[in-house]
Amino acid sequence: MRGNLNSSLLGIFAALSLSAPLYAQTVVLTTDQHNAALKAESAPAPVHDLTGVWMMRNPPGSNLGFTNYTFTKDPPELTPWAEAKYKEAKASNGGEYTLKTTNDPVLTKCDPPGVPRVYFHPYPFEFVHTPRYTLLLYEYDHTVRRIYTDGRPIPKDPDLLWMGTSVGHWDGDSTLVVDTVGFNDKTWLDRLGHPHSEQLHVTERFHRVNLDHLELGISMEDPKALVKPWTTVFYYELRPKWELGEISCSGDYLDFGNFEK
Amino acid sequence: MVALMRAQLLISTVVVLGVLAASAPTFAHHGTAAYDTKNIVTVNGTMTDFRFINPHVQLYFDVKDEKGEVEKWQAELTAPNKLARAGWDKYTLKPGDSITASGYVGKNDPHTMWINKLIGPDGTSLHLFEE
Repeated sequence: MRGNLNSSLLGIFAALSLSAPLYAQTVVLTTDQHNAALKAESAPAPVHDLTGVWMMRNPPGSNLGFTNYTFTKDPPELTPWAEAKYKEAKASNGGEYTLKTTNDPVLTKCDPPGVPRVYFHPYPFEFVHTPRYTLLLYEYDHTVRRIYTDGRPIPKDPDLLWMGTSVGHWDGDSTLVVDTVGFNDKTWLDRLGHPHSEQLHVTERFHRVNLDHLELGISMEDPKALVKPWTTVFYYELRPKWELGEISCSGDYLDFGNFEK
Repeated sequence: MVALMRAQLLISTVVVLGVLAASAPTFAHHGTAAYDTKNIVTVNGTMTDFRFINPHVQLYFDVKDEKGEVEKWQAELTAPNKLARAGWDKYTLKPGDSITASGYVGKNDPHTMWINKLIGPDGTSLHLFEE
């Protein structure tokens, strides 16, 4: 018994040692494959209802390691303006950093993350629907987005905000489409430091596949920074027992001297 | 016998890390560059303080070296929100509890640790991540 355990553990160890680093190799399932892999016992999605606490979980069998830091395996095509800005970013090197080696505004100043960078915080978020707007509450740093669903149009001359101004509408029974514009240019698109301009327009399609699973299709359009739209799909699972707690990116979060002796 | 147990601990730790890495987003909220991530160190200690606070839950414990002298260690886990979802609260560990902690130690201070595996006072391995 003990011998078998040792050999199987050694086998797993060998397999893990030979497997590619998280960042390099990926297996991407098609939407049909992914949906087929979902557990059959999940109930149908309720109509026009994303209520719940959701946590990012990549589909079973896939190894989308880049979803910790960026949106796609291949980098986006940047305009010359954006390439120059990207060179100034000193990102966090996959986690191997100290505060002196990075200029990531979230890590060094607790700046709001912007959209869609907020989805790289490894914390859950929840939806709260009201008749005129849907609230997106992210656990990290009490981040709140208000998505107006009262039929108002996308603002044509919005104020420039960290998280933009959002309007949303339902497409069918289970997809909330959110358009967000009016971003300041102080945030990064991802954790690698890809930049955006004030022209950024983010479209999020929150598609509740069934009761327990949510797909988030993200599209970033920014003629000043991106040669063409940058798109991806992130996957989330419902966490019925979870409640969001408090996280305030202040004080101790910035005083990493304690952890970098 | 001891070598075999150490090898088993190392292998099971790598398996735990591999499984966690494949199934959950890697949590590296602050930098890992301050830690030696190439080696996993395991120590037995007695808790002296337990701080269930953001941004990282902190453990303070005494470890006896080979001469019987006490080393003061500080270690950290992930955010309390995540540990609460893994079943923890502020009473999960207390001064006086015996623990076995495995993880990466600090490059500049080898008595600091970023814990990867933790065995609690009842001998069972504590869940360190929300599911």
